[in-house]
Amino acid sequence: MKIIIERFDGKKKYESTYELRIDEVKGQTLLSLLQYIKRTQDITLNFTAACRMAICGACAVRVNGHSYLACDTKMEELLEEYENPESMRISPLNNFRVITDLVVDWEPSIENLRKVKPTITPKSEFSEKTGCVQTQADVDAIKKQWDCILCGCCASECNKLEADASDYMQPFVFTHAYRAADDSRSKDPMIHLKPAIANGLWNCVHCQECVDRCPKGISSFGDIESLRVMAMKKGLNEGMGPAHAEAFLLDMVEGDGRLNEIKLALRSEGVLANTTKLDIAYNLMKAGKMNPLHIFGGEKIEGHAELVKMVEAARKAEKEGTIK
Amino acid sequence: MSNNKEFAFFPGCVLSQAAKESKMSLEAIAPILGITLHEIPGWSCCGASQAQCVDPIASLVANARNIALGEKMGMPILTTCSTCMLTLTKAKNTLDKGAKDRINTFLAEGNMKYEGNTEITSLLWVLYQNLDTLKAKVVNPLSNLKVALFYGCHSLRPERELTKESSTNPKSFEAVVEALGATIVPFEKRLDCCGFHASYPAGKSVRKMSSQIVGNADSNGADVVVTPCPLCQMQLDIYQERYQDENNSNIRKPIIHLSQLVGLALGLSNKELGLDLNIQDATRLVG
Ligand code: SF4
Ligand code: SF4
Ligand code: FES
Repeated sequence: MKIIIERFDGKKKYESTYELRIDEVKGQTLLSLLQYIKRTQDITLNFTAACRMAICGACAVRVNGHSYLACDTKMEELLEEYENPESMRISPLNNFRVITDLVVDWEPSIENLRKVKPTITPKSEFSEKTGCVQTQADVDAIKKQWDCILCGCCASECNKLEADASDYMQPFVFTHAYRAADDSRSKDPMIHLKPAIANGLWNCVHCQECVDRCPKGISSFGDIESLRVMAMKKGLNEGMGPAHAEAFLLDMVEGDGRLNEIKLALRSEGVLANTTKLDIAYNLMKAGKMNPLHIFGGEKIEGHAELVKMVEAARKAEKEGTIK
Repeated sequence: MSNNKEFAFFPGCVLSQAAKESKMSLEAIAPILGITLHEIPGWSCCGASQAQCVDPIASLVANARNIALGEKMGMPILTTCSTCMLTLTKAKNTLDKGAKDRINTFLAEGNMKYEGNTEITSLLWVLYQNLDTLKAKVVNPLSNLKVALFYGCHSLRPERELTKESSTNPKSFEAVVEALGATIVPFEKRLDCCGFHASYPAGKSVRKMSSQIVGNADSNGADVVVTPCPLCQMQLDIYQERYQDENNSNIRKPIIHLSQLVGLALGLSNKELGLDLNIQDATRLVG
């Protein structure tokens, strides 16, 4: 079969195609295949790897446009996933600057990590004498996030980063921000939460690519959701993102039980900004797809009073600390 | 689908207003395919992965209630909205993995109980599981129609929550549309995100994402973009003029619902399928 590798020599992009017998491919990992190609066919091929055991995060690349941790991916599995293709395309991670061949620049990502201060500033009550202890439950709450090996697989496929990285950080940065913010030993979650908000917390497009690409089973999207919940609880609710999210909750519980499209638009971006979309609203009304009378509210769903009772009971239990 | 298949139908908020043609076309194709839909009485908004960022416990309770209402009907729950499907499925997974008893203490306030014995499925998935029946009902094979298939994120991802098929190399949509006889064009953006969920806070990025999807479908020669998700349809259709202008593109493309494409192959009219309600003209797809 053909293995096509996207190359870059610092100035120009090109491709190299390597012909391999299927028995040379099967039984390898993606990383050992790259090493095999380098050893037997092309000494000039550049890629990074260190641990070969899925803990250093250095070896991530893309195959057919999806990111994989090379040392942790069996070629047999890839052949199965892509139904024994005649060729496979290996490329560097997306959304990173390429230095050479499959090697990418991590410096801007490390800068982003610095912004969210992913280390812990301990609470003042801790001392050298008493230590800095936490309960097992506290550890469990952030255990998964500690598994992040900074491989960049999540960032490679992030749809928001691809559209515009100027107002958004890599998904794993939010994971690290949440890990620090939710650490029971941490002095103040705000140290991590505020820069996360300032660097795009509400701009995630919910594509969930980060969840499916992470070789460690981490959900950066879930961590983004958790950071948002934390922000709302702390009253950091300025902006269109929080207003938009809150509008759904209001309609579901305080409203009629279902989404009110007219109120949603007005609540999300305010009356003034909304006047710029009047043409779209007009088209929708003309097609009977938006009811202008809904500005006064709609009909309550059957059983809405019970729904409110259930939600109130849950909120009360949460407040009293009977649930987390 | 050969024998009558009955479902507890969860339309979701979008089907009653901005995507009402999705509901119309679904209700038009269902009887032909032997599907009976019973709308779940009193269903509420699922929170659309938004309310979850403000009050996760309220959202979980509301969805436990939604599923419990469907369970009472003794049928699998079907929705055409991928975000509803993902949100309900995520809630079900959370309940089944240990939250059930705790959440049931709150549902008891309204004399309800979540049991955990109902499947949640989508139109795409039901069609995929019944390809032979679907094929047998096609009276108007759409071979002259070149279609770009846009899955939409929440039809596939996260794979570990939905557990239906590979999100890296999925097949269900292609198989369904092949059964309808339509010509599928290559489409590099088919697994991308339309950006709908961030269209307010990250508007500029989202308009660029949507524009690239429509542009990519066009450069591959598609006559039309089809999607199983009503929110993707809405994002790509309703705002198309706006984002194409902003991105200096004069490409305009009809964007239709999966249920509308199925309806065309089943020989239904534009009117029955609500194709005259799509914002980008979709009334001339079959002659
Ligand atoms: S869900 Fe958000 S963070 Fe994750 S890949 Fe998509 S846009 Fe990026
Ligand atoms: S969150 Fe997962 S995919 Fe992202 S950098 Fe960390 S380990 Fe890699
Ligand atoms: S080489 Fe270290 S993670 Fe692959």
